[in-house]
Amino acid sequence: MKTFKLENEPKIESGFRTPNDYFENFSVKMMERLPASEPKVISIFQKRKTLFMMIAAILVLALMIPIIANWSQNKQELDSVALENYITYQSNVNQYDLINELETEDISKIKINVAIEDKAIEDVLAMNSNLENLLLE
Amino acid sequence: MHEEKEFIQQLLDPRTQNEAFQSLILEYQRPLYNHIRNIVLNHDDTDDILQNTFIKIFQNLKNFKGESKLFSWMYRIATNEALNFLKQKSKMSGVTSEIIQNKVLDNLEADIFFDGDEIQLKLQKAIALLPEKQQLVFKMKYFEELKYEQISEILGTSVGGLKASYHIAVKKIEAFVTTN
Repeated sequence: MKTFKLENEPKIESGFRTPNDYFENFSVKMMERLPASEPKVISIFQKRKTLFMMIAAILVLALMIPIIANWSQNKQELDSVALENYITYQSNVNQYDLINELETEDISKIKINVAIEDKAIEDVLAMNSNLENLLLE
Repeated sequence: MHEEKEFIQQLLDPRTQNEAFQSLILEYQRPLYNHIRNIVLNHDDTDDILQNTFIKIFQNLKNFKGESKLFSWMYRIATNEALNFLKQKSKMSGVTSEIIQNKVLDNLEADIFFDGDEIQLKLQKAIALLPEKQQLVFKMKYFEELKYEQISEILGTSVGGLKASYHIAVKKIEAFVTTN
């Protein structure tokens, strides 16, 4: 049996053929079948982009309100007048409570020497109607 | 390469698109027809697939990145269309694509668009027995006379791998023709 060798044989064609004028008419037929240019698709988001952006901005601002409010409150400094007024009108701390809190050292710090003449003392005592009570105390 | 870029620009420009696409069809209709026909064997099926291939090319031109050559990109689309057609056909009829191809081969002698002689018919039968990849490589190299580099770009296989596939395919075909 003779061994078949592809390279020794003349080129074997596929044997396929086409109908007459197939390629002559193909491009015309093909061009007619091509789809028309597709209209540009705009998504709902793109169409209402401004509206969506506005809603998003409002939401962000709304969420930031508590943070901003808290931040501005923290910024207020506690001044001494406000503190004094608060203690005077809003708290139950009385004079005696404050005295009890004072240490001997604190008292010595606020101790001041006041030079009062005898005449002045006499005048005060003469003007004070509760002299007897003061003497009893 | 520069000319191809210019041509792609013409294909994408709505003002020059139709004219450019018509020249693309005229240039590639025969090689792509032969490529598809070698895979599906039947003229009517080839005609449908070729039209679908050009429609896909037209629709996807805007996505063509130019990473590969236009030629290999179009061949890739044509190959995928032809192979998908065979898969769908076998799915619909519930038999393997090999059985369908054998059936087409049996009818080849009666096909009015096949005028092959005995050796041509025997060669087609020998090819049908090869695995899909070897069939593709053999047809593209032997019938379509494409270079290994071109086939490599189309199928995404290394040149070395293609040479090996072709060599094995030739050996199998020679053995078949010798014994039959």
